[in-house]
Amino acid sequence: MAEELHAQVAAKLEEIGPSVAVALELKVDSYFDVIRGLVDDFSARKGLCCFYITASVPSSTLSNALVALEVDTKDVRFVDCISHTLMGKIEPGERVAHVESPSMLEYVVLKIEYFARQNEGKKALVIIDSVNSFAIHNDIKMLSEFFTVLLNSLKVREAYPVVLSLPDSLKPEVKEMLALVCDYTLTI
Amino acid sequence: MATSAQRGRCVTGIDGLDNILGGGIPTSNIVLVTGPSGTGKTTLAMEFLARGAVHGEIGIMVTTQEGQEKLLSNIPRLDFLKEAMFKKGTITILELAEVLRSAGVSPTQMDEAAVDKLVGALGKVVSTAKVTRLVIDTVDTILTDVKDETLDAILLTRLSEVLYKEGCTAMLVSSRGTSGVLAAVSDGIVLLGNLDRKGDLLRTMQVVKMKGTSHSRARYVIDLTSYGVLVTPLLKGGS
Repeated sequence: MAEELHAQVAAKLEEIGPSVAVALELKVDSYFDVIRGLVDDFSARKGLCCFYITASVPSSTLSNALVALEVDTKDVRFVDCISHTLMGKIEPGERVAHVESPSMLEYVVLKIEYFARQNEGKKALVIIDSVNSFAIHNDIKMLSEFFTVLLNSLKVREAYPVVLSLPDSLKPEVKEMLALVCDYTLTI
Repeated sequence: MATSAQRGRCVTGIDGLDNILGGGIPTSNIVLVTGPSGTGKTTLAMEFLARGAVHGEIGIMVTTQEGQEKLLSNIPRLDFLKEAMFKKGTITILELAEVLRSAGVSPTQMDEAAVDKLVGALGKVVSTAKVTRLVIDTVDTILTDVKDETLDAILLTRLSEVLYKEGCTAMLVSSRGTSGVLAAVSDGIVLLGNLDRKGDLLRTMQVVKMKGTSHSRARYVIDLTSYGVLVTPLLKGGS
């Protein structure tokens, strides 16, 4: 079953199409299958750029995990909102843009803009990992405004925005907000 | 005198700023770019020149604080700012001391006559080289020892007359903020700042005034990148 999950995620996203903000509800134990489905089965095979916004796991850890899963990360760019707050070693690079804190939401929008320019408008899958993590650092009104701005700008660009959420540990008001700002809920 | 519509716009090339201004700065306006240290004033002004140079517009930066090499090494790398622009003279960096010397003005004896000479020298440079974009970074240094603020007004008024005639749009960099004579007399004010939001320090930009155009007066968050100054609305969280 686990082997098929990544393919299912990609097939579903293909069916949904671009310019649709997707709330992807997943369970912790299927996390890496879902990521593989998004980054490898969907993004890489469609020849898209992948912009991975992480407020959960440092980009270096994610990048290593993707390599271990034998996923091609050449077209993956990370917006890393967590490494600074962990006081970890920050290694500057063309493929990672660091944001000092997950509460500096405007800079998340600006780093995506930066990568979009770097990739000269090429279509992109944008993964936001995860609403749970962003909700720890931001109040609901701020979060709601952020997702509205970010997701609308991505939809205009015909991107594929996917907001990851772990529904079992999501506050009801965050769940409501997600339903409001996203166009489609996909449960894995 | 021509209206701003007749005068047209100087498209700065800084996307976010042009969007805020509804298409750019009315041509020949003098815009004060002001804010505290480290907010991106010099970077914004350099992008203004470089974006113009990409389209063949001649730009001059009169710098009062640093030489060319140091100035360029102190701003973030801009992918579109090419060495060739300096070699071809599309962008020229002049030290204020040189301009003052050529005008026969001593920086310690600045009075109305000296201001006239300085503006005359700047006008000559603008006219001879067909400069359409001028930056003075910083204008504060020119009048640093002058206590009489009317000289600020005289400098701006005379400069405005000269630049209007030449069709040259200017950015004057200053750290004096939005009060005072410089701010009152300039055609536009772009205020850069730092916003402390629960310990997060955000770089911000706000167009406080721009004569000859209707524009957003909201505050925006900016990022200084190799693609230039990127701009996004400040999130307010319903407050």
